[in-house]
Amino acid sequence: MNTQVLNTPQVQAAEAPLIARDIHKSFGDFEVLKGISLTSHKHDVTAILGSSGSGKSTFLRCLNLLEVPDAGELVVHGQQVHLRRNRHGEAVAVDEKLVEGIRSRLGMVFQQFNLWSHMTVLENCMIGPLRVLKEPKAEVEERARYYLNKVGLDNRMDHYPAHLSGGQQQRAAIARALTMEPDVMLFDEPTSALDPELVGEVLLVMRKLAEEGRTMIVVTHEMAFAREVSSHVMFLHQGLVEEEGAPDKLFRHQESERFRQFLSTNF
Amino acid sequence: MHPLKILTEYGPLLLEGAWLTLQLSGLALLVGALLAMPMSVARCSPRAWLSLPVRIYISFFRGTPMLAQLFLVYFGAGQFRHELQAVELWWLFRDPFYCALLTFVLNTTAYQTELLRGGILGVPRGEVEAAKAYGMSAWLRYRLIVLPHAYRIAFPALGNEVILLLKGSAIASVVTLFDLMGQTRAIFAKSFDFSIYLWAALLYLLITMVIVRIWRHLETRINPHLRRRVTQVPVATKAVATATE
Repeated sequence: MNTQVLNTPQVQAAEAPLIARDIHKSFGDFEVLKGISLTSHKHDVTAILGSSGSGKSTFLRCLNLLEVPDAGELVVHGQQVHLRRNRHGEAVAVDEKLVEGIRSRLGMVFQQFNLWSHMTVLENCMIGPLRVLKEPKAEVEERARYYLNKVGLDNRMDHYPAHLSGGQQQRAAIARALTMEPDVMLFDEPTSALDPELVGEVLLVMRKLAEEGRTMIVVTHEMAFAREVSSHVMFLHQGLVEEEGAPDKLFRHQESERFRQFLSTNF
Repeated sequence: MHPLKILTEYGPLLLEGAWLTLQLSGLALLVGALLAMPMSVARCSPRAWLSLPVRIYISFFRGTPMLAQLFLVYFGAGQFRHELQAVELWWLFRDPFYCALLTFVLNTTAYQTELLRGGILGVPRGEVEAAKAYGMSAWLRYRLIVLPHAYRIAFPALGNEVILLLKGSAIASVVTLFDLMGQTRAIFAKSFDFSIYLWAALLYLLITMVIVRIWRHLETRINPHLRRRVTQVPVATKAVATATE
């Protein structure tokens, strides 16, 4: 009886908010992802490493269906995404509403921030919860202010993105994601577009989130962050998982020659 | 006759004409704006059955003279009088005002649709992607992100269209309407005084100048995010700053 309880979708969702199995994706003839699996348990911080072209960003984008996988299984918060082919042969989700619901549970932070430039920082944070989650305004505003405060932007709330530095914009984007209260936060190379002196402030915020026990999946080139903050590291190479495991073990000893080379050039 | 004397004599008529010009072009622009919004979205659709009819429509109205379009509506409709009467639409095509209005609406809709399409194409892709990533439906994305951006991008060009249509509306005078141009022609026919054309030109110029000013003002109003921030003073120190002033 005990095992039956454990296997209900609710329990599964609570324990592993995101499960991806054997994800495949091609662009034209080029197969970017050749079957990648990832189970993100609650409080996991997964770091995805790999050189450019290894498919790490594409994989992350498959998780919230900004790219639709050609094959594979995706279960977010206990809800499985069913895929079909349209008449051009492209993979599309069967239920677009379900996809929208899933996306609203996954907070995405982009390399280029992608804040909505015609809205103030506070509006950027509030619009999703207000219009997508349809939550009451007072509650949303309070939460947005709380998270903006947390990322250190309490005195920049009424600024427009263009009036902020890159580091501030990325912190605003993180606050925007947090205000949605997502199950999992997805970071797509969040510090790659930043000037070197601005990287630290963003990593500091992410480190704080990890310490709070947020579930995070981070595509990154920041090896120190991966080693010190993450609970699980995946190294991708040519669309496959070349090596993965706990960071303290993986950074001490690498099975794969490629991963060793990658670390020696990137540390 | 002295140019000032003709103005005092015929000035009120000229203003009456200007009012009709403003009514005609203002109404046409407004209706055109309402139609252009959904049509530009359709024009940008990857589905051919949505975008193709709009493309054909646009290429027809952009590729033919507005005067020809006006004649087509005004004189062409007379050929179908019985049919139009049967469907209770004759009141519209019988009246030159409505004929001109309809022509201008069809014409400006085509132009505004195309301008707005340019705006939609100019919306930063990343911002649309972010909207997707936050679970916004296509409808919400258009309402909250795409169209607000598209209008801001297209805004200067739309101002141009306002002025072009206002001046273009002078052709209403050839279907017996007494707009600014129509009144001017009528006054000239009575007085044979050439200077009335000069006054009419000045009146057109005055109207367009006012529109340009209004448009410039609106442009800065709708683009606070592109303006340079005047005060970089953080909220906490603002109180101190004003206290020491």
